[in-house]
Amino acid sequence: MLQPELIQLLTASDLVDLRIDAIPKLQVGFRPGCFFSSSRSQDGEAKLTFIPQQILLNKDHELFEDGDIHRHLYLQNLSTCPAYDSPTARQCEFRCYISGCSQVFSTVEDYEHHYNTLHRHVCSSCQRSLPSARLLDIHIQEWHDSLFSILAERQDMYQCLVEGCGSKFRTRDQRKDHMIKIHKYPSDFMFDKVKRIKNIKIAKKNMLQKGTSMEVSMSVSEPEGVCEVLSDQPEEEEYMEINHSLEPGILDPASNPINTVELSTDHDTAPILSVTIQPTTNQQRPQHNRERHSYRSVFTSNLKWHTISYMVHNMILMYFP
Amino acid sequence: MWRLNAVRHKAGRQGSDLEEFKFKRREHEKELRRARKDSQLVSKRLLLNDDEEEDGTMDTLASDRVLELFNIVRHGRDLVKKEADLRALRKALRSPSAHLILIKQPNSIAILVTNLCGPNPQCRLEAARCLHELSHSPHSEVDSLRLRQATPYLITFLSGQSPKFTELCLYTLGNMCPDSENVRDMLLAQGIIPALNNCIQIHRTNLAVVEAVGFTLSQLISANYVTGTIIPAVLASGLIPRLLSVLTPDSQFGLGPVIECAWCLHYLACSNVDNGALVAQGTLLHCTSLLVTLGVAVAKGSIEEGIELLIWPLLRCVGNLLLSGPLGALQPQLNDSRLLAALCAFPQAFLQTHPALARESIWVLNNLTDSSVFCSALFYLNLVPALIQLLPFSHGINIMVLRVLGNIAHQGREYCLHLAQAGLLPALCATLKMADTEVVTFSLEVLGQLMASDPQLAEEFVRQSGLPVLEAIQYSNQETIRLRATHLLEHHLPPHCTVRTLP
Repeated sequence: MLQPELIQLLTASDLVDLRIDAIPKLQVGFRPGCFFSSSRSQDGEAKLTFIPQQILLNKDHELFEDGDIHRHLYLQNLSTCPAYDSPTARQCEFRCYISGCSQVFSTVEDYEHHYNTLHRHVCSSCQRSLPSARLLDIHIQEWHDSLFSILAERQDMYQCLVEGCGSKFRTRDQRKDHMIKIHKYPSDFMFDKVKRIKNIKIAKKNMLQKGTSMEVSMSVSEPEGVCEVLSDQPEEEEYMEINHSLEPGILDPASNPINTVELSTDHDTAPILSVTIQPTTNQQRPQHNRERHSYRSVFTSNLKWHTISYMVHNMILMYFP
Repeated sequence: MWRLNAVRHKAGRQGSDLEEFKFKRREHEKELRRARKDSQLVSKRLLLNDDEEEDGTMDTLASDRVLELFNIVRHGRDLVKKEADLRALRKALRSPSAHLILIKQPNSIAILVTNLCGPNPQCRLEAARCLHELSHSPHSEVDSLRLRQATPYLITFLSGQSPKFTELCLYTLGNMCPDSENVRDMLLAQGIIPALNNCIQIHRTNLAVVEAVGFTLSQLISANYVTGTIIPAVLASGLIPRLLSVLTPDSQFGLGPVIECAWCLHYLACSNVDNGALVAQGTLLHCTSLLVTLGVAVAKGSIEEGIELLIWPLLRCVGNLLLSGPLGALQPQLNDSRLLAALCAFPQAFLQTHPALARESIWVLNNLTDSSVFCSALFYLNLVPALIQLLPFSHGINIMVLRVLGNIAHQGREYCLHLAQAGLLPALCATLKMADTEVVTFSLEVLGQLMASDPQLAEEFVRQSGLPVLEAIQYSNQETIRLRATHLLEHHLPPHCTVRTLP
């Protein structure tokens, strides 16, 4: 209950000098001016606003409620009871702050696992979550780097996805074959992913409706100024998304409650895929997607539900931030 | 009687109907909370007599006879018999339904008052008991205005010498106080405050009477629409020093009188009418002394039953009095460093049983840490780790602790360094992930002060893997925390850190 140091302090003998004015005051060295100026941002607006404040509480303040109730129970002769049903202190819950997620956890460890699994390595262009920093880099390079496709025509650019291998290949197919043959990946390993179509439609629609306010509230700085929109392709509508993990056991990146609000510009992009391999090499999206649709889809009912609930959630967020 | 040890016996007797008792108590608590929200939280006390139990055998036959008994009293001429008649009437009045019957009788109160002032002391006592039963009536028709004929006499008798009789008068008046503004004005005009002052002086060695004075005064000054005149009158009356002299618990009698006086002081302090006067009369000194004594008792493990009923009003009184002037001026009254230790000990001791008390204890610390003297003392006594350990707890506790830590950090760079040494940075990494947005906001503020004061601390934060936490907060849909997190990432991180702010 009580820590030993506290007990000692309180039960100290009379010989110890307990006076406050006998305690040496901690001296503060020269405080550089930056302390105050840095509480403001460049536009001068105060961002950190805390100042020490003594608080006066009047009789009817809500902070006093429990104590008052206890007092009146005593006056009315009901306070002593062997098993007192008073409110006990609860440990705070933890919440994932990624907008659109809002899951709550009772321990830090649960929260950290959730965050590390779903929100860690997220592609800022297409909001896919990749299992590791390296795969994120590869993804960005292969799908969001226009220079890549130019270079890939002339040299081996497609890296093997297995860490430490270092081999590079001219085509995705070659890489896939390599991974199957050399690294013993299963041949029916799902190397690619179709876009999350329904989200795109919603995202695009909402973006057009509420574009500016969302952008302002969400973005702080724009490194390159380019955020890629997912897609304008209406014909892809018919395809439900098929999302597969790179490795079994890793959570499906598409089940991330990713905030699609950040999409801000229309941009002609390559199809959005996770780092898994595509069966075809060309970049034409419509056929591309149709062929992919022929792949075996690994859908769990949980995923479906999560996809739908996440989309609904996002819709709600967009209208009621 | 309701005194704590007596009630313990009663609770122990319950046995099999304990569940029912608990259920009733929970329901009752809900009612009280509702009443408080409506500013209708009022309690009355019933003084039990030696010859009866509290919820014991109500003589229902007698209550039917109340009319008959009253008529006997009214018409009786034999003084000796009258005492017995009055006693019978009083017993009949234990039943609330009898109250309505009685007050409908013309001149019923007048008759009782006549006997109250009559020559026979025993008759006076019984008459007073009858009035006391009526003052505790659950029926709204039996209100204080009906009983107002009795009040001048009740007030006069407070200066009398008979403890038992005085006690009865006090509780009767105390039950009448909360009823209405008019009643309080009337009592004030009739001189209740000087009478209370006299009473507590005369009966200062009789702790039962002292408790009754405290109760009555607390009812007078805590009532909802306290006029501007009551509290100044109390402050000017000389009652304060007498209340303060009660603040030393008697181990045999129990905490009752001290509890009542402490609640009086709390109601006076929170009304903020003239807290300077309260301080000048020594209130802060006495209350902090008693808090230290209680802290020592808690440290030794002797947590008496009902001690929280005493700690609560003392904390509130001290907390509010700290705003009565600059802390530097108040320091002579706050010179015992064990006060800080006690304020840290109470949360530890009462966290699970009374978390609200823990929170109020830290509120007092918040009001104290507006001064570098007390912040220094917290470090010197190594009390900061105890505070940091309270950060996981909700119920407003962690927010109050963060305020205290913010106050300390605000004092300057060395204070921030000491806070970091005490282990604040890893604790902040945890609070930044909590569900309550207010907790996160305060955590960001404190973190901001730490990082701004010294780049070492920013680096330490990064070492503690704090960076991803800040980055995550940028994705929140709560603007307050988003803006702060981004600000910290942009302005306070060491230059070599790659900052991933939102595109």
